[in-house]
Amino acid sequence: MEILGSKELMEQVRSKGLCTTCGACVDICPYHQSHKGRIALTFDCDIAQGQCFAVCPQTEFDANELSELMFQVPFQNLPLGHYRSVKSAKATDKIIKGNFQNGGTVSALMMFALEEKWIDSAVLTGSKELVPEPVMADSSEDIAKCGTTKYMATPTLSLVNKSAREGRKKLGVVGTGCQMKASASIRSNPMNKDEYKDAIALSLGLFCTWSLDTREFLDYLKSRVGREQVISMDVPPPPAEIFVIKTENGELELPLSEIREMTQEACATCPDMTAEWADVSVGAFEGKPGWNTVIIRSQKGEEWVNAAVEAGYLVLDDLPDESLDHLIQGAGNKKKRADNAKHEEVQ
Amino acid sequence: MNILSTGEKGSRHLLMGNEAIARGALEGGISVAAGYPGTPSSEIIESLAKISKDHHLYVEWSTNEKVAMEVAAAASFARLRSICVLKQNGLNVASDFLLHLAGSGVRGGMVIIPCDDPGALSSINEGDTRHFARLLEIPLLEPGDFQEAKDMTKWALELSEELQTVIMMRSVTRLSHASGSVVLGDLPEFGAKAEFRHEGFLLDPNEGIVSSAPVEIKHSQQQEKVKKAVEKFETSPFNTYTGPESPELLVITSSACNLYSREAINILDVKDRVGILKLGTTWPLPEKLVAEHLKKCEKILIVEEVIPFMEENLKMLAQELAPQIGQKTLMGKRDGYLPMVNELNPDLVINAISKILGIEYQAVPEEYATGTLQKTFFGAPVREWIFCPGCPHRASYWSINQVLKLDNNQGFVCGDIGCYTIGTLPSGFSTLKTLHSMGSGTGIASGFGKLKPFGMKQPVLSVCGDSTFFHAAMPALVNAVHNKSDITMVVLDNSGTAMTGFQPHPGLEANAEGNDAIKLDIKSVCESMGAYVKESDPFDLDNTREVLFEMLEKKDGVKVLILRQICALSPEKKGKKMFEMAVDESRCKGEKCGCNRLCTRIFRCPGLFWNKEKGTSKIDEAICAGCGICSEICPIGAISKKEVTQ
Ligand SMILES: Cc1cc2nc3c(=O)[nH]c(=O)nc-3n(C[C@H](O)[C@H](O)[C@H](O)COP(=O)(O)OP(=O)(O)OC[C@H]3O[C@@H](n4cnc5c(N)ncnc54)[C@H](O)[C@@H]3O)c2cc1C
Ligand code: SF4
Ligand code: SF4
Repeated sequence: MEILGSKELMEQVRSKGLCTTCGACVDICPYHQSHKGRIALTFDCDIAQGQCFAVCPQTEFDANELSELMFQVPFQNLPLGHYRSVKSAKATDKIIKGNFQNGGTVSALMMFALEEKWIDSAVLTGSKELVPEPVMADSSEDIAKCGTTKYMATPTLSLVNKSAREGRKKLGVVGTGCQMKASASIRSNPMNKDEYKDAIALSLGLFCTWSLDTREFLDYLKSRVGREQVISMDVPPPPAEIFVIKTENGELELPLSEIREMTQEACATCPDMTAEWADVSVGAFEGKPGWNTVIIRSQKGEEWVNAAVEAGYLVLDDLPDESLDHLIQGAGNKKKRADNAKHEEVQ
Repeated sequence: MNILSTGEKGSRHLLMGNEAIARGALEGGISVAAGYPGTPSSEIIESLAKISKDHHLYVEWSTNEKVAMEVAAAASFARLRSICVLKQNGLNVASDFLLHLAGSGVRGGMVIIPCDDPGALSSINEGDTRHFARLLEIPLLEPGDFQEAKDMTKWALELSEELQTVIMMRSVTRLSHASGSVVLGDLPEFGAKAEFRHEGFLLDPNEGIVSSAPVEIKHSQQQEKVKKAVEKFETSPFNTYTGPESPELLVITSSACNLYSREAINILDVKDRVGILKLGTTWPLPEKLVAEHLKKCEKILIVEEVIPFMEENLKMLAQELAPQIGQKTLMGKRDGYLPMVNELNPDLVINAISKILGIEYQAVPEEYATGTLQKTFFGAPVREWIFCPGCPHRASYWSINQVLKLDNNQGFVCGDIGCYTIGTLPSGFSTLKTLHSMGSGTGIASGFGKLKPFGMKQPVLSVCGDSTFFHAAMPALVNAVHNKSDITMVVLDNSGTAMTGFQPHPGLEANAEGNDAIKLDIKSVCESMGAYVKESDPFDLDNTREVLFEMLEKKDGVKVLILRQICALSPEKKGKKMFEMAVDESRCKGEKCGCNRLCTRIFRCPGLFWNKEKGTSKIDEAICAGCGICSEICPIGAISKKEVTQ
C-alpha cells in the first residue's frame, strides 16, 4: 500500500467525514491535535509520507498483510473476523472492585496483564467531568477507575504516540474496532520507526455498533442530567430501544433513536462490530447480564485469556450456539448496513 | 539643542518635511497642537511635544482624530492658534465634526494637516484627503517643497484667522518623510490669552455661539469665506510658473509631484518646450491665474497624486473658460497618461511628457529594467512583513490560532489596524479574516455575533490593540455588550502605540509631553461595561490557551481577554533579553523529526534559523530577543532557555 502524507489524510479521510476519532494520528507531531472529541490539523504539513496516514484505520490498507501479522493466516472476510474461539466470561472477586460495564472482563484482563508484566502500561479511556479522555493506567487501581463505557468517540490512541515518544514499550491498548485496526497497523510499524517497535504488546477490542459525536452528546447530556453525577450509561439489548443513564439520583431512560442521531458520521460506513483486529474482543453478553462475550482471536490472545483464568482473574463459560448465531447475524448486518451506506455515499 | 526651537531667523537647515511643518506652526504662533499617531504624520506632533515647554505650547496625543480635531478647535474658539495633525484615514474619523466646524467657522487660526500616503507605503489604503476640502468647502493648500512646508503652515494659520475658516494643508509621505533645505523665519513672542466669548449677539462670529446653524446663513457665510480665499490665492506666492512664454506643453502640478515634474523636465531637457505651473492653493482653484496660464498653450498635463482631483476641477474650469480661451486638451490620469493608483515618480512623468511631445525616450532602458529586476530577485533576500523577534503578537496569534483550530468550529478573527494587522499574513499564522479601519474588527464582530438566528454557529473573535481600544473599539464593545452579541474580544495590549513609535495613549501614565497622566485600566473599563474579562500574559501559552477555551465555551455574551506583554522594541525592553536561548543540537532531530520544522517553517521567529549543513534549527544570537516562546513550541524540547539575571 502506498503511504502518503498529512495532506492526503485530510483529503481522503477527514474532509470526507470519515474520521473515526480513533486518535492514531494525534500527537505524533504538532499538527494533528485533538480537543474535546474532535481532531484538528493545526497547520499544514508537507511531508510526503507520514505515520499519520500510515496508521489511520480509514486509509487504504492491506488486509492480508495485517491478518498475517496478527493471526498468521490470510484475510478471510468473515462476519466476526478471524477467531479461535468465542466464550462468555466475567471477572472474579479477586480483582479490585470497580464500576464495570458488564462482567468486568476487560478490566480483569488488563489488570492481569499489568500485574504479570505482560504489559508495562495500559492505554484506556476514562473521563473528567463527563468528557471522555485517554488515560495511561500504570496500576490496577488506575484500570478500575476507567471502568464503564463512555459512548463517545475518544482519541484514545493519541496516548500510544505520546508514550512512544517518551520511549515507553509494551503497552496494552483497549478500544473499539477502528482503534484496534489502527493498533494493528501501529504494530506493523509501517514507517519502520524505532519508537513504535514493540510499542503495543496487547490489543483488547470492544464490540461497537456506533460511537457518538462527543460534543453533540455532551451538550445533550448536560441538558438532560444537569449537574447530577453520571455513574454509567448502557444500551440494553433489543427490543428495548432505550438508552439508560444511571445517575446518583436514579435511572433516566431516553429513546435510543434520539441518541443514534448523534452518531459520528464515520460510523455509518464501519463494517466492524466485533473489533476484528484485536488479540481478544469483548462485548456484552446479551443473554446474561453481568457477563461478557469474549472472542479469542490471536494465539497471544488465547494464551492471555487462559493465563488470566488460571491466575483466577477471570472465569470462562461456553457460549450457547444460539448466542453465537445471533452475534454472527448482528455482525453480518452491520457489514451490510455499512456496504449500503458506502453505496449511498458513492451515489 | 533643538533646531526647531533655537534655529535663528535666516539660518539654513536640513529639515524633514514634518519638522519644517512643525517649525512653520511655531512661526505661525500656535498655542495648541493635537493629533493621533499615524505614519507619515507622527513627527509633527512629536517634534512639537519635545519643545512644548520652551514655547508655551499644549501638545496632545488625543484618543482619536475626531477628539484631536475638537481639542484643536477649542483652542481656536478661545482665540488661540492651533493645528490638528493626522494621517489620511484619520480625516475620515474626524470628518463628522469637521462638517460642523466648516459651518461654524473658527476664531484663532486653525489648520488641519493630513499627511497622505500615496502608494500606501505604511498604510493599507491610499485615500486622497483632498476631496474633503471640496466636501467640507474649506480652502486647501499643498506645499510643493520643504521650504514651502514651513512657510505655508505659517501663512495658512494667518489666513485661517483672517477668514475665520478652518484651512486644510495636505502633505504626503515623500514630503513629510524626506528632508530638504529650509531657511528659518522669525519666532513670535508668545503671550496669547485664551478666552471664549459667548455672550454677544447670537450670530456674531467673535462673540456669539459657535455653531453651524442656522444652516442657510452659516453655509452662505462659509461660501463667502471660500470666495475670499480664492481672491488671496490669485496672488499667492505659492503658485508659481516656470518655463517659456509660450510652451508646447503646460504641466500643472502640486505637492511632491512638483519635484517629480521638475526632475522629468530636466532629464528630458525640454525646459524651453514645457512650462510648469506649480499650484500651492489647490482648492478652490484661482480662476484668473489658471486662465492666464491655460491661454499659453493647447496641451496641458496634470500631474498629481493619487486620483484626478485637480484634473477634474481644472477640466470643469477649462470648460467654463472655453469661450474666452478656446478649447484646450487637458491630459492626466483619466486618459491613462498617468496611473490612478500608487505614487508617481519622475520616470512616470517622463513617460507621460515624452509620449505627449513625441520624444523617443525610455525613462528606464529595458536592459537596465530587466537587469535590476533579475539582480533584486536573485540577489536580495525575500523580505516579507513579519513580526519582530520576541513580538508578543506572534505568541498571541499562536494561541488564538491553535485554539480556534482545535475548537474546530470554523471560528474566525476580525481585525483592524496596528502591528497586529500582520495577523492576516503567515507571520501571524493567517489568523485575521477581516481587516478594516481602527476599531472595525470589534464592530464587525459585534454584527457577526448577532447572526445566530440566521444559522451562524461559528465562534466570533476580534482583536484590537491597546491604543485602538480607546481610539474606536470602545463604542463597538459597548454596542456588543448592549445588544448581547456573542463575541470574544482580544485586546493585544503591548503598552504603547507601537506601530507609529510608542506614542502614549489613555492606558498609560504619561502624555505626549511626558507629564503625569491618568491611566485608564482597560480591564476595569470593560468590566464596568458588563463584559466578562480576563487577563493573561501571551508568553504564558498554557494559560492563554486555557482562558481562550474557557471564553469559547462560554457561548453567550461578550468576553474580553486582555493579552498584556510589552512590545519587544519598547524602550524598556529593547536590547534586554529575558532568556538566553539555545538549540540542543543533539536533541533537535531536524528533518528526521516528525515536526517538519515547526519552529522555522511555521512559528518563524526571525531569531531562529535553519542550519542547512547540520540539519538542525539554530538561534541567531544577534536577532533573538530572548522571549523564550520557541522553547515551548518545540515538541521535543530541543530549545532551552536560561533566565538572564539583570
Ligand atoms: C463506543 C462503544 C460502543 C459499544 N457498543 C457495544 C455494542 O453495541 N455491543 C456490545 O456488546 N458491546 C458494546 N460496547 C462494549 C461494551 O459496552 C463494554 O465495553 C464491553 O462489554 C466490556 O465490558 P466490561 O464490563 O468488561 O468493561 P469494563 O471492565 O468496565 O471496561 C470498560 C473499558 O472500556 C474502555 N472504554 C470506555 N469508553 C470507551 C470509549 N469511548 N472508547 C474506547 N474505549 C472505551 C475503557 O478503557 C475501559 O477499560 C461498546 C463500547 C464502546 C466504547
Ligand atoms: S480515523 Fe483516526 S487516524 Fe484516521 S484521521 Fe481520524 S483520528 Fe486520525
Ligand atoms: S462504529 Fe466503527 S468506526 Fe464507529 S466507533 Fe465503532 S468501531 Fe469505530
